[in-house]
Amino acid sequence: MSSPAEATEYFQHVTDTVCDIVERPWRRMPKAWYVALAISLCGAGLLLISLTKLVLTGIGIWGNNNTEGWAWDITNFVFWIGIGHAGTLISAILFLMRQKWRTSINRAAEAMTIFAVICAGIFPLFHTGRPWFAAYWLLPLPNDMSIWPQFRSPLMWDVFAVSTYLTISALFWYVGLVPDLATLRDRFVARGLNVRAAIYGALALGWRGSARQWHRFEKAYLILAALSTPLVLSVHSVVSFDFAVGQTPGWHTTIFPPYFVAGAIFSGFAMVLTLMIPARYLFGLKEIVRVDHIEAMCKILLATSMMVGFAYGTEFFIAWYSGNPYEQFTFLNRAFGPFAWAYWTMVTCNVIVPQAFWFKRCRTNPYIIVFLCILVNIGMWFERFVIIATSLTRTWIPSSWHYYQPTFWDISTLIGSFGLFFTLFLLFMRFLPAVAMFEVKFASDHAHAGPATAHH
Amino acid sequence: MSSLNPKDGKNGDTTWRGLSDLVAQAKSEADGVEDAGDPAVTAYLEQRVPDHDELFGDPLSRRRFIQIMGASIALSSAGLSACRWEEDHIVPESHRPEGYIPGVPKRYATAMELGGTAYGLVVTAYDGRPIKVDGNADHPHTGRGSTAFVQASLLELYDPDRSRAVERHEGTNSLPATWTSFEEEIRGLVKKLGQSGEGLRVLSEATTSPTVAALRRDFLARFAGARWHEYEPLSRDNERAGTRMAFGRAMRPHLNLVGAKVIAAFDADLLGDHPESLRLSRDFAAGRDPDDNAAGMNRLYAVESAFSITGATCDHRLPLRSELIKPFLIALEAKLGGTGAAAPSMAAFDAKAQKFLNVLAGDLVQNRGRAVVAVGARQPADVHALAARINSVLASDSTITYTADPDGDRPTHTEDIVQLVADMQRGAVSTLLILGGNPVYDAPADLGMAAALAKVATSIHLSSYSDETSAACTWHLPRAHYLESWGDARTFDGTYTLGQPILEPIFGGRSAIDVMKLFLGKGDVPTEQLVRETFEAAAKELPTGQTTGDTAWRRALHDGYVARSAAQGEKPAIQPFTLAPLGATQSKARVSNGSLEVVFTSNTATFDGRFANNAWLQEVPDFLTKMTWDNAALISPRTAADLGVAHEEIAEISLGGRKMQIVVYVMPGQAPLSIALALGQGRKRAGRVGGLDSEGVGSVGFDTYQVRSSKAPFIATGASIDGTGKKYRLSLTVDHYNLEERGQQAIAERLPDLVKEEDVEAYKKPGYSIVADAHTPEIATLTVPRTADEANESLYKEHRYDGHRWGMTTDLSKCTGCNACIIACQAENNVPVVGKEQVWRNREMHWLRIDRYFKGDPDDPQIARQPILCQQCENAPCEQVCPVGATLHSDEGLNDMAYNRCVGTRYCLNNCPYRVRRFNFLRWDWYKEIDDPRAKVRSLLFNPEVTVRSRGVMEKCTFCVQRIQNVKIQAKNAGRPIEDGEITTACQDACPTGAIVFGDINDKRSKVAALRLGPRAYNMLAELNTRPRNAFLARIRNPHPELG
Amino acid sequence: MARFEFPQWTESFKKWVLLLMAGGPVYLVALWAYGLRPETIRIGYQPKQPVPYSHALHVGELGLDCRYCHTTVEKSAHAAIPPAQFCMNCHTAIRTDSAVLQPVREAFAADATLKWKRVHDVPDYVFFNHSAHVTRGVGCEECHGRIDRMEEVYQYARLTMGWCLDCHRDPAPHLRPPELVTQMGYDPPGDRRELGRQIAANNRINPPTNCSTCHR
Repeated sequence: MSSPAEATEYFQHVTDTVCDIVERPWRRMPKAWYVALAISLCGAGLLLISLTKLVLTGIGIWGNNNTEGWAWDITNFVFWIGIGHAGTLISAILFLMRQKWRTSINRAAEAMTIFAVICAGIFPLFHTGRPWFAAYWLLPLPNDMSIWPQFRSPLMWDVFAVSTYLTISALFWYVGLVPDLATLRDRFVARGLNVRAAIYGALALGWRGSARQWHRFEKAYLILAALSTPLVLSVHSVVSFDFAVGQTPGWHTTIFPPYFVAGAIFSGFAMVLTLMIPARYLFGLKEIVRVDHIEAMCKILLATSMMVGFAYGTEFFIAWYSGNPYEQFTFLNRAFGPFAWAYWTMVTCNVIVPQAFWFKRCRTNPYIIVFLCILVNIGMWFERFVIIATSLTRTWIPSSWHYYQPTFWDISTLIGSFGLFFTLFLLFMRFLPAVAMFEVKFASDHAHAGPATAHH
Repeated sequence: MSSLNPKDGKNGDTTWRGLSDLVAQAKSEADGVEDAGDPAVTAYLEQRVPDHDELFGDPLSRRRFIQIMGASIALSSAGLSACRWEEDHIVPESHRPEGYIPGVPKRYATAMELGGTAYGLVVTAYDGRPIKVDGNADHPHTGRGSTAFVQASLLELYDPDRSRAVERHEGTNSLPATWTSFEEEIRGLVKKLGQSGEGLRVLSEATTSPTVAALRRDFLARFAGARWHEYEPLSRDNERAGTRMAFGRAMRPHLNLVGAKVIAAFDADLLGDHPESLRLSRDFAAGRDPDDNAAGMNRLYAVESAFSITGATCDHRLPLRSELIKPFLIALEAKLGGTGAAAPSMAAFDAKAQKFLNVLAGDLVQNRGRAVVAVGARQPADVHALAARINSVLASDSTITYTADPDGDRPTHTEDIVQLVADMQRGAVSTLLILGGNPVYDAPADLGMAAALAKVATSIHLSSYSDETSAACTWHLPRAHYLESWGDARTFDGTYTLGQPILEPIFGGRSAIDVMKLFLGKGDVPTEQLVRETFEAAAKELPTGQTTGDTAWRRALHDGYVARSAAQGEKPAIQPFTLAPLGATQSKARVSNGSLEVVFTSNTATFDGRFANNAWLQEVPDFLTKMTWDNAALISPRTAADLGVAHEEIAEISLGGRKMQIVVYVMPGQAPLSIALALGQGRKRAGRVGGLDSEGVGSVGFDTYQVRSSKAPFIATGASIDGTGKKYRLSLTVDHYNLEERGQQAIAERLPDLVKEEDVEAYKKPGYSIVADAHTPEIATLTVPRTADEANESLYKEHRYDGHRWGMTTDLSKCTGCNACIIACQAENNVPVVGKEQVWRNREMHWLRIDRYFKGDPDDPQIARQPILCQQCENAPCEQVCPVGATLHSDEGLNDMAYNRCVGTRYCLNNCPYRVRRFNFLRWDWYKEIDDPRAKVRSLLFNPEVTVRSRGVMEKCTFCVQRIQNVKIQAKNAGRPIEDGEITTACQDACPTGAIVFGDINDKRSKVAALRLGPRAYNMLAELNTRPRNAFLARIRNPHPELG
Repeated sequence: MARFEFPQWTESFKKWVLLLMAGGPVYLVALWAYGLRPETIRIGYQPKQPVPYSHALHVGELGLDCRYCHTTVEKSAHAAIPPAQFCMNCHTAIRTDSAVLQPVREAFAADATLKWKRVHDVPDYVFFNHSAHVTRGVGCEECHGRIDRMEEVYQYARLTMGWCLDCHRDPAPHLRPPELVTQMGYDPPGDRRELGRQIAANNRINPPTNCSTCHR
């Protein structure tokens, strides 16, 4: 139990640290930020070029072929959707579970979620041969042809699942932002910076922090959290149906939904850490994003990693147990066929590497964590590649077996999507409060001592 | 919406939807673009294509489709893709011919000549625009079905690269020339040559045309000193020489496979490149049907060096160097105890070969009178004589008959061209008229044809393309396509067949007859009259005494042939003859590098090179190698290992002092120590498909004529091959040979379920069913309408199929793998060509493919074959995953594909267990020539009944739904039911063996319904409950118990 | 710390903002839907033809049967536009010197072609067959309207897929005895739908609605 004075001082400190990132003049932005932004912008540009080329020339610029209708395009889609899972999980589920440590990272995680979903959304649209039609034929709009989309298709389900997810998480994020935006607004007013004050003021929707508003806010936040929770599970389940519903050996399996969700959380957390740990140093958030927070996340990584590993094992067991020769061959082919290198990369990165987190040293050393997390993300990309590409290369009829090779444009599109993602994230760091100040304050021990108001 | 308007300059588009546009553009280009051809096209279209928009409204050209898409890009957000097209015109003809209904296809009988043989054909034309060629079902010899070459000959008609103008060369520079100036030249020439005509020579490709023969007689009578030469790179001269040895005069053997029980083919591709392949395939299949065949199935043995489709179809095959066929036959004859049999030497044969020999001999003896032996055209003369003698020993009068060779006394083609070139070199030839053919490219390499041509003052070359020979001649004359000219021919059995033009020459070409008559001063006699005169003359001589006069003529034109005009079969007596002594290597089982054998084979894509510019043929995968856009040196796996050359490695072959580099293809089943070189690639002046140096278009494949000499034009020995280590990328549609162990094993495990085969003994056991032993459901349960309970198994409403219920059966016992169906499908359904690079990327577009698997020992494998098209599943996996419902089920059970709804997610492709769906990854017309105004003529090729698909759209076999719809409409208009067999698919029409049967399963009397319930019927991957509408009929083999 | 206040006058924005947010999309969608309806962009299309041929005169007044000129309509997918020769069947005798007929006479004399403008145009991937409809008793009028009242032909029907389906799903109201297909202003006594149902029953007319019915 600390004294109100201490509490006030602590709160003031939190506010200052977080707001400083937004308020500081450009020259005080760390060099690294500028470098990162420059690189990311190049990446985003590459994405723009790649997609333009794609629309003008056709899917033929990619490596896809008559045997592999899908390859990197859908791999990237599933990868990004996976990344997009941590945010809502942390904000919603952990919020409902009253996990205090989440407060320091949930804001960034949610932002990350939204950006990831945006990146993911690119692929289902642009992987089609005629996106200019897909853009609206996939939506149930009344039309002169008097025909509707085909609701039996998992791709239709995707459309709804992903768009719902994007909407809800965006709302959730924004609502969470309101009090902190108000804080920024007030600080700008205090410093007489009216333009910014007006902008943040408009964004803050006239937040006053009155008890009534707080009451409403709490309710709204709780409801949105409750809404998002099932989404965390549903979205990736639906995405996994793209494969589970298909009958290709290696796709046609019932464990996909839980397996995909676990994988999504796994990759999502890895990405959060990859982003937050550098940010923590760059913007001096050490006291707020504390080591024990990071450690907690590493434990989750370890858990989900083992879930994913278990899923890999189950797949093989079922293939053998089913007695279906096609199924069996698909998995033998995964592990020992022409794409074995991809499979073992996946296993190493997703199952073996994370075992390091059994050791406290690994859970606390930021360098190790970032390194391992990057490996995990690589592994998770390969997981999707292995499921999609290696299953398709060798399906039922041997005469149509074929090896898949990506082209320059496959690679550029993937890199480009990263560019877009990081661009958005870096801008977010600069212009919005990267940490949910008021939540941190609530969560801190001081909260019980001091006055629970977000602004002084 | 200007972006939709082709005449709108902004998108600089040269596409046309209707004649109006075409004419407009052609005109505008005629002034702007330098383009000899287009006014011709325009003129042709103006006079020949009436009411065009009514006709061309539907087959939007590829680019046209793209325009719509393009507009949609601009306006997709606005959803305007359905808005009004550009202003469009309808241009009716001023006078409509009587009885002509615009938009209703007409069918004409005509004839096509190919390498000294001919086919009686039926051409389908939309408003004067041929869009499909098929065998003339009524023709006594050709009959139903066709070859890949016949099917693809249509593409040549619309080939933009066909020669469009008379050319005149003086040294390197070319002078302006027209047909008129050529006619003047001829008049002068004829005057100059006077009566004697010394130094006047004609080099003609082999032709069976009676009219040409008549003109030739007149010609040689008119010019005493003139001489007529004939040359074909691939000819059956050895057969003529052989029969001359055996019978005293040149004869033509005709096998009658219907009654044959044992057939032994020695280096003979009876079902493939044989001029009678269509009839032989038909008869072979008839004797092959295990069900309706009292005599019991025939048994086919093949002994050959290079794998042929005959070898792939046979029951027992022995890979043997071609040069060893002779000692093998000697040994065989000895075993059969023929009189005058030479002493056999078995040195060259290992145990396997000897066992094969013994079994074969035993089988032949056992079936004396119902057995026959055939020898391939490339075997030397005395081997043919030997075969004739063996056949006489086998008393095979019923299985083989002989007809007199129509031109028995002429020298062989090789002798003839050697003679001609010799004369040219010593300056004895002042004027050379080359009718067809391409000697500079395909004459034996040791002659130096080009150099010799330079010594000829006036050399005139008539050919479809301005090719290698044209360039070396002083005159080049564009030749009319057979669909553009009057002509006649005799099919291999001698049936008198007439060829009538379907349209005016698009590029102003003329036929050989047209040119010949100029020399005889008959320039103003219409060719039709000449052809008719010949016909009248011939008709009188016919034993059956055909009536002449208009009726007979019109009837003959209508039928396309003269009934009972085939040559009379004879039973000549064998005369004694002595065989040439065996060469050194002919008694050796193993020879060293340096004395290897090289066998020159015909090319399944280009024949002898004449089809090199035919993209359909270049892209159709060779049945055995699955190679497209190439030719290679085929070597057996063991030999490759021994000589240290690798698959897809460039190797240097040296033969008789000549060297060439060519890619190696390690071919399972290729005879050891024998190299097979397919002729007919590596063209330098074929066109923008086959290779055109002048426009920087590289040759397709390798020119194997470089190492072919007049000494040994078919089988040469003393060759050596050395790897260069350079890699070369072949575009194979299937490449399993160098698959890793596990993959090979998986294929071996799956094959019995995918491609079902059975020995006839097992099959004949009572109560046998092909699916009884497998895990697959009985096909009967898959075809009968499902009960309510079964229907409830599915979440979705099941179709009931009360009306029609289209189905197909594919008989694996009858399919030979001749590829005719693939190209027929391509022609019927406007299937695009994608080019070598894209085939390598596994993006070929063929709706119908023929899977080929090797089984067993790589050095002597068996072949499993399976034509695969869309199986039209009743419970189609592709349908439920399409998000926009672009592929849906029709109430007749067809798996409809609505191209214009497809957005191209490719999910259906992933979910199709048969992998029959084809995606337009790019705009396949995106090769440079489409932007060349000359290429507009291509648009005439499209079948107006089928949408041309755009980029980004999925497509697949539709069971030729356009044919189904049209027949249905006709039948309903007439208020009658649809007869069984009234609707045929394109592949079915093309199949010479009748392996494909299509019909209504609900019609219990239909053939297809019966076949589907037969004991051989099975569905592929039926365990997936896809309930395919196509059923395969298992292949029944007839192995000899001792070789089994 | 001073609290930031939006000035009072901004209050009045609120309702406008709300109105814009609620009404804007509605307005746009409505504009969209109306602007792109075939009724707006297709129906009534009436290009100027090279010869001012009057259906009103020939069909309406003189009572020519459609099939007199469009001879192929019962046999072919296409209701072919008549060649100049057909016009001259009469116009060698009637109005032989009319100026408006000059192009026709020239075309006929020179064996040249007349360039009519296409009025009824469906997308290129739609395979419509006239004979299939005419012989079943779908009147010309159903799709082409009262030709007998058109001086120059204009597009009468929507010709959209939905429009086709309306009839294919419920043909009865559009059917008539096949012999009356060319009759203009067909108006049978009694319930048209009922009559159509009988015709459909008698001639076993059940229009398919498969993709491949129109798209191949």
